[in-house]
Amino acid sequence: MANRLIKYFFIGLLLFPFAFLLLLSLGRGWAYPDVLPQHWTVENWRFIWGIQAGLGRSALLSLSISLGIAGPVTLASFVVSKFIAYDRHRRRWLVLAYLPYVFAPVILAACLQGFFLRAELSGKVWGVMVAQLFITFPYGVIFFSGFWNEHMLAMEQLVATLGGTVRQAYARVLIPIARGALMTCFFQVFLISWFEYGLTTLIGVGKVQTLTLKVFQYVTEANIFYAALASCLLVMPPVVLLWLNKKYVFSRVG
Amino acid sequence: MVVKSRSQAAHQRLCISERALGHNVTFHPATCDVLTFDVSTCDVQTFRAMKPHYAKYLALGLFLALAVLPLLAGLGYVLAYSLGLVGFRSAGLTLVHWEAVLGSTFFWRTLAFSAYVAVMTIGLAVGAALWMVVTRPQAFLQGSLSLFIYFPLSIPAIVMAFFVFQMLSGGGLLSRIGYQLGLMEGLEQFPGLVNDTWGIGIITAHFLMAAPFFVILFANLYDNEKLAALVQLARTLGANPRQAAWRVAAPVLLQRAFAAIVLYGLFVMGAYEAPLLLGSQSQQMVSVLTIQKLQRFNLADIPQAYVISVAYAVLVLTLAVWLLGRGKRGDAR
Amino acid sequence: MKHTILLTLLAFLFWACGGGDQKEGAVEADVLSLAWSDIEQQARGSTVNLMMWQGDPLINAYMQNYVKPAVKKQYDIDLQIASGQGGIIVQALLAESQAGKEESELDMVWINGETFYQLRQIDALFGPWTDKLPNGQYIDFENPFIGQDFQQPVDGHECPWGNVQMAFIYDSLKVSAPPQNRAELLTFARQNPGRFTFDNHFTGLTFLKVLLMDIAGGPQALAGPFNEAKYQQYAPLLWDYIREIKPYLWKQGNAFPEAVAPMHQMFANGELWFTMSNNDSEVDNKVLQGLFPESARAYVWAVGTIQNSHFMGITKHAPHKAGAMVVANFLVSPEAQYRKQDPLTWGDGTVLDLKKLPLEWQEKFRSLPNRRYAPSREEIQARALPELAPEYMIRLAADFRKEILGQ
Repeated sequence: MANRLIKYFFIGLLLFPFAFLLLLSLGRGWAYPDVLPQHWTVENWRFIWGIQAGLGRSALLSLSISLGIAGPVTLASFVVSKFIAYDRHRRRWLVLAYLPYVFAPVILAACLQGFFLRAELSGKVWGVMVAQLFITFPYGVIFFSGFWNEHMLAMEQLVATLGGTVRQAYARVLIPIARGALMTCFFQVFLISWFEYGLTTLIGVGKVQTLTLKVFQYVTEANIFYAALASCLLVMPPVVLLWLNKKYVFSRVG
Repeated sequence: MVVKSRSQAAHQRLCISERALGHNVTFHPATCDVLTFDVSTCDVQTFRAMKPHYAKYLALGLFLALAVLPLLAGLGYVLAYSLGLVGFRSAGLTLVHWEAVLGSTFFWRTLAFSAYVAVMTIGLAVGAALWMVVTRPQAFLQGSLSLFIYFPLSIPAIVMAFFVFQMLSGGGLLSRIGYQLGLMEGLEQFPGLVNDTWGIGIITAHFLMAAPFFVILFANLYDNEKLAALVQLARTLGANPRQAAWRVAAPVLLQRAFAAIVLYGLFVMGAYEAPLLLGSQSQQMVSVLTIQKLQRFNLADIPQAYVISVAYAVLVLTLAVWLLGRGKRGDAR
Repeated sequence: MKHTILLTLLAFLFWACGGGDQKEGAVEADVLSLAWSDIEQQARGSTVNLMMWQGDPLINAYMQNYVKPAVKKQYDIDLQIASGQGGIIVQALLAESQAGKEESELDMVWINGETFYQLRQIDALFGPWTDKLPNGQYIDFENPFIGQDFQQPVDGHECPWGNVQMAFIYDSLKVSAPPQNRAELLTFARQNPGRFTFDNHFTGLTFLKVLLMDIAGGPQALAGPFNEAKYQQYAPLLWDYIREIKPYLWKQGNAFPEAVAPMHQMFANGELWFTMSNNDSEVDNKVLQGLFPESARAYVWAVGTIQNSHFMGITKHAPHKAGAMVVANFLVSPEAQYRKQDPLTWGDGTVLDLKKLPLEWQEKFRSLPNRRYAPSREEIQARALPELAPEYMIRLAADFRKEILGQ
């Protein structure tokens, strides 16, 4: 019973930020020391919806970019990280994988910008996707580096021993075992791409209008109700995605 | 070292070929999890020996092309800029920008403060996550928590910073609740939890993002490493639950997650959005200082932004090499 | 293997950093030699990329719901708005020029003051083009607050779009007699510690400039190009003043809000009793949005505050210069300026000289709804101070960090 209470309390804590942001986005007037805003209204939502034409299209664009990045990056980094993990120079490779994260993101964008301009990739969706590869792929490699262990190796060797092909080893053994990790990595990479602002602005020169790019500035807006609303717009799509995938998450252990 | 591993490899090739001939292994689908062959003598080298090379070269080539080459080139560009070799009105090789940055105490204080925030955040988040997973491993592997624990991951830093500000600032929700409960008489009595010199607001925001991430990571590893069985074994051998959790499960999790922990630490150390909103100008983090030099407001300051970037990159890479080197000792390989 | 990697790397680096040779655009000369009707003709069917700050929902609404459809309908121009301001614009154009790009990704940029100065430094602006605009005849170029940008002659390289004056905003329920000068502010802060601060960005720097001018003895003292000797003479007095008031500021002056947004938020929830804005009419729309209490009021110090303008520039390598000029011409049309000045729409002051306008438009401008919480424009015009040369701001920003924040 106590355990159950703790669990519900904990779930409440996890969901609280979402509830708070949603409530605030429906508010108007929040003077100290009131705990809740004085008025409730959908006016904020209607207003933002009215002026940000094409929010739906931006959401679709963001979704395509993020899914287009997350899928291939998860699979590729899964495979590549295996070769790195079992390589003699494992540590050196891993240190190299940290390279994108030793720069502040905006510096990274500044130094990559020149390359993209010359490759005629700036201002294009493709360019933004390539730029996002640079930060998500090494992330995946590091993420999976802890996954490969003797047990995995043994499983793979076993498949080989029994005459299985490499493809069978992945399809029947490695991927099913790694489902939880793959799922987490996919989601993380999806989120990195979804929320990416600096590279997307600079490489896309503001023309590749992802949802994040469209509403990002409202989060730093003086009007907290609009800021909360923009936060909801940013956060809700990944949450919905998660909800839709809940079966997958739940059945992770089975 | 190399010689040793070569002789090991020879030995292992031998043992794998024996297995291939079916001498040593019996396969039983139901027990495939607890296979008995000795992996400590028969590991990486064997694997390398038996794999077709082209796949490996392809994989490593991809890694070089996507993760290494553009960034090394970027580093070269940043270095050239910091030395006055390229860039707006560059006047040829000069060390003046380097002298300006390295000679300023504020730069060193900024580095120290960034490291402090990263260490505090990671320490608290890893500690909390470890505690949750080793004491209640099943809670995060199945049932509703295994879904809801993912939710906080979908909050980006800028939104989390906004949320923390609305919670912890003088006129924030906590202060209002404190007032309503009669704990204080006005918002000026509320302690300064954001824009403070100790970085409490920044650490809180990053903690809220990092802790769920580590819970998920540890729970996955717990499952992946079959720690339940290991803990059970320890219990059978007489360990109490506490010992089994902290002496057996926790070290394995820490070891396995080490690279990810280091990576997350670097994320926090280079963070920008939360420090910008929740920090204080008298105690800055390194990204905030960099952007200040890059974009506010003097074009002549840009090379200094690049000096900070190179210096920071070198520092962080050294740190990563050192940390991963330490991690190696505990690594089963 | 290692050598191959190294060589590839070097080649890559060389390719990326090497300066490109730029051809002087033949297009530029073309556009400027065309008659306006030909420019309009050339603009038809083009896509104009405008980069501007998009942090204010009212401004976005004006652009999305009015400007965009209007230029599409009237001139068949597809106006695409990208988000970015100041440093981002400079960085984007600087990178393009370093990479030797002949066609910019951007056609128009919304800029003023120090961004204009930096863009001129890197030679990223097209011009002079404003004299080609038919609506340019109405622009009040003789007015130094409009025809000059931070003491720099605009020189036809950017077109005035709007005009605003810095104002202090206070809560009239908490403050009955707001301070009118720096001595009164110090007294007020001593009596009410922690209630006043200024932000660490544009608006806060404007505030510092106002103080500096006051210390120097009025706007004329610092007029003209940057004067090192005068700066050296007056800046230390400014820092003395700030150090004196610092312990009574919010957070004892150990931290400053990073921008006006968090400062507005703290004003809205009562943590601060003051905030400030570079737009004199902002208080009206913030009350209307339900953010500020209805007791919020804006005012301007007796010693004055800085008034300045913001502008539209066309990039030097803009692929659609004709289209950009047509859009700019539309933005300074009486109709577009009239709508923009309405406090319910945006509340941005016009750059047009009303006396030059046809009578019907003069009437319309005069009958615009009044501000409710901000002082009227006529009232504060007498208290308008000109902007200082951009170097003053750059120096103040750097020295503020050094002298006050100990960086």
